[in-house]
Amino acid sequence: MEFTLLQPNNQRCANGLRWGILNVQAPTTAELLNHPLVQQALEDAWADSLADDAARRHQEGGWVYADLGSGAITTRRASAGATANIGLDHPPTVPGAVVVATFHTHPNPSAEGWDPGPSTDDMQSAFILGVPCLIRADDGVHATGPDSRRGGLAGGPGFPP
Amino acid sequence: MTILPVTAAHALAVAQADALQAYRDLAPYRVQVALEADGWHVDYQLKDPHRKGGGPHYVIDATSAMIVSKRYEQ
Repeated sequence: MEFTLLQPNNQRCANGLRWGILNVQAPTTAELLNHPLVQQALEDAWADSLADDAARRHQEGGWVYADLGSGAITTRRASAGATANIGLDHPPTVPGAVVVATFHTHPNPSAEGWDPGPSTDDMQSAFILGVPCLIRADDGVHATGPDSRRGGLAGGPGFPP
Repeated sequence: MTILPVTAAHALAVAQADALQAYRDLAPYRVQVALEADGWHVDYQLKDPHRKGGGPHYVIDATSAMIVSKRYEQ
């Protein structure tokens, strides 16, 4: 039996148990990209990236968390990155929650020859960190890395072991 | 032994001049230069494997030092 994480809080399963207690599968990339809070976080990061300002454009990003009790999705922002890189390897601890994805922007324009999609480093770091990597670029949203948090929701706060 | 008109150092200098304009700061990157059949491949990759982002990738003609192709990852 499998339960998805993106259910209304406190919803009960057919057997009467709270779904969150039984759930061990982390949300998938598709589920996260459909979540309004994740979509908003991507758009906020995009706006803060100043993509239209050639002199000041830079990467922004952060982390997506799933609460282990309720399944609620929350996000946190990282410090601003550089022109074409950002450090997302030290997520803040959110009590009772684990990191289920990272997100960041690719603000440099495709029209000037920049590749809007995931870089080789994006893909490699996503598999090292063990969570999906969500990207907002000028041609839309991209993803790379594992389809969901490695090992499910186990493994304690932060990234999976 | 064949003496190439364009050395690895020359190819790197050509790539670096372009990369600095686009990326402003190349300190986070490790660079690899390799001679392939189509020219010098100059590839920048992040030193920290946990970091998100990307670097530039070039093919530099080994006889003219012209940039044959380039790809800006981010």
